[in-house]
Amino acid sequence: MRVTPRIRSWTGLAAVAGLVVSVAACSSETASEDTDATAGGDSSAAASEISGTISLLTPIFEGTPGQELLEDELLPQFYEMYPDVTVEVDYTTYGNLNEKLTTAVASGLVPDVMMMGVGWIEGFADKGVLADLAPLGLTEDGLKEVYTDSIVEAGMWDGDVYAVPIMLDTRFGVARMDILEEAGYTEPPSSWDELVEIAEATTVRADNGSLDRAGFDMMSLDPRQAFEVMLFSAGGGLFNEDVTEPVFNNEQGVAALELMTDMVNTYEVEDIGFASPDDIVNPLINGRAAMGIAHNNLWTQALEADESALEHMEPFLIEGEVPGMFFGGTLATVSSNSSSPEAATALLEFLSSPDVALAANEQRGNVPALTELLESEYVQSNRFVQFALENLEYAQREGGPSTWLEVRGDFAPAVEAALLEQKTPQESLDDLAALVQDAINR
Amino acid sequence: MTIPTARAIVIGGPAREGKPGAWYRRRSTHNSIILNAFLMLGAITMLTPFVWMVLTSLKSPAELAQFPPTFLPEEWVWSNYTEALNAAPFGLYFRNSLIIAVSHTIITILMGAMAGYALARIYFRGREFVFLAFVAMLMIPTYTKIVPQFLMVKFMPLFGGNDIMGQGGTGWLDTWWALIIPGGLSAASIFLFRQFYLSLPKELEEAARVDGLNEFRIFAQIYTPLIKPAIATVGLLTFQESWNNFLWPLLVTRSEDLRVIQVGLAVFQQLDNTQWQYLMAGTTLATVPMVLLFIFAQKYFIQGFTHAGIK
Repeated sequence: MRVTPRIRSWTGLAAVAGLVVSVAACSSETASEDTDATAGGDSSAAASEISGTISLLTPIFEGTPGQELLEDELLPQFYEMYPDVTVEVDYTTYGNLNEKLTTAVASGLVPDVMMMGVGWIEGFADKGVLADLAPLGLTEDGLKEVYTDSIVEAGMWDGDVYAVPIMLDTRFGVARMDILEEAGYTEPPSSWDELVEIAEATTVRADNGSLDRAGFDMMSLDPRQAFEVMLFSAGGGLFNEDVTEPVFNNEQGVAALELMTDMVNTYEVEDIGFASPDDIVNPLINGRAAMGIAHNNLWTQALEADESALEHMEPFLIEGEVPGMFFGGTLATVSSNSSSPEAATALLEFLSSPDVALAANEQRGNVPALTELLESEYVQSNRFVQFALENLEYAQREGGPSTWLEVRGDFAPAVEAALLEQKTPQESLDDLAALVQDAINR
Repeated sequence: MTIPTARAIVIGGPAREGKPGAWYRRRSTHNSIILNAFLMLGAITMLTPFVWMVLTSLKSPAELAQFPPTFLPEEWVWSNYTEALNAAPFGLYFRNSLIIAVSHTIITILMGAMAGYALARIYFRGREFVFLAFVAMLMIPTYTKIVPQFLMVKFMPLFGGNDIMGQGGTGWLDTWWALIIPGGLSAASIFLFRQFYLSLPKELEEAARVDGLNEFRIFAQIYTPLIKPAIATVGLLTFQESWNNFLWPLLVTRSEDLRVIQVGLAVFQQLDNTQWQYLMAGTTLATVPMVLLFIFAQKYFIQGFTHAGIK
């Protein structure tokens, strides 16, 4: 039987609803009433009892194509299930989501359902803005049955679940195999040593010393995220287990930043300023870089700019002590003071259901958080998304303390100070760690 | 009596043979060439980003990916404009931006001129203190005002379901009030108007009073017609600031019907992916009103800037 999107959508919803029911049985009586309303045999009758007008704040689904997808295709499906619920959508951008949320919290007008990024949950959950989803039927154990552990943990704070993932943004290595093959390499690097060797072999400089082709591009990415990829591949992490102190300035962190610094200053495989995150085109697309750390949407960028480049691009995990991959993403949350928590939870479940999440990911070229979507047509058609989904077990996220949004901006200057040799990697990370520790202690 | 020539004064030596007029003309031409060369260089420096924006808006994604980049498009992709316009309801956004910018400009010119006149020409106790307070307001960064301003808008009494204490509703949020009133008047415009009114002679006011004009008529009929450059300057600056405003409209509105053009342009800048050809096409269209406004008001605008000493 051919599984149509509609059937998959309802199947997915039923799966989530089933999960809700099973977990709700262990929850409080009130919670049980809430969750029963979204699941089980009486689901249609119970769903009709859920009513209210709820607001949704979203940094995704923007622009006419996104709005058409949400309002013309997805929400009508939600209204079929919950005819007495009305959703008022507030579109914003990631660039201004923090201001939007901050003013909403300050004024007490917090949207019922909010989408936010990985690393954002901790701060807003700590302030009491977000609802604990366990009483509403979404628990850690239940979610870990359908999502990778680290992705579920991105939506948790202090042991409680506050968010459900919808889409992931991943960063991993990408190699231009045509350039590598010219230099005599048939496989992407499988260790840091090989990474350096191949990067040196594929770097091209003009007679006057100016860089024509970078062997390994790290500048097209936010310096924080580039460092995090290298840090994770070094086997390091950002914080200790109970998130009380930073550990990125330990041996692994220093080794990661030293490698980045050496790439620029010793091996000279890329120059400062050769590329930037604001560049019109990623240097991997037009062959100005042989390898680099890239976002999974490089695939869709290349599809638009130069489809022929895609056949030469090979994703790989940057392997130091362990394979390193970074993930961010978008998660759905419910306000702790929502006037219609049942309706808000129903919308959250709907938005995170397989078919809806798949459509949202396809619109933005991102990675679905649900492992079961690996076989979907979209994932199979996008090699980078497929690669990310296949390797999610290696993916690590940023964030941790509730002050993450305050301190994350301090990472880029620290990384840049080391790359510019204004400080040693150790000094740079120690100074950064002191700043972060101060923020945690406040 | 011998009148020393400018040449003798400048050079400090004996006058040269030949016609002094020809020497002046030569020197004047020489200076003019240097001056024009500098001005041309400045103009090219200012124009290049604009021209680059327009040319980028007409290139295909494949051409944008080329390195080194092409200057002129190999293929002129005019469809970027139609596709950009289809990416968001830009007609609606354009209308909203125009309403807000025109409203801000009118309010600023009317109220700012009155406030500037009062601070410049009417003596009252505490006038200097009030003026200093306005100057102090110029130093407050916009970002620090956003949350307090947002709260004032949200707790506006008797609006949006709020009671007399400003509780229970949404106040001015998601209404035209929130878009127009808070940005309607700025301390900078009052400061500029004050400086212009201060520069006008007191004799005009005295003559007007002798002729029996009251304060408002002196303001409206005697002084204000003399500060057209100030009105053009403040008007253009206000319009530009309002037209380019992005964050405030985004924060206080939720309805699509109230969103502005800068919010529309943001749809092309997704996280980790910018659609440059559409962003540049949209931005080119968004600059048209400002360019037209400047072309029509540039005479007064330049006078205003030189008069106010703003460079």
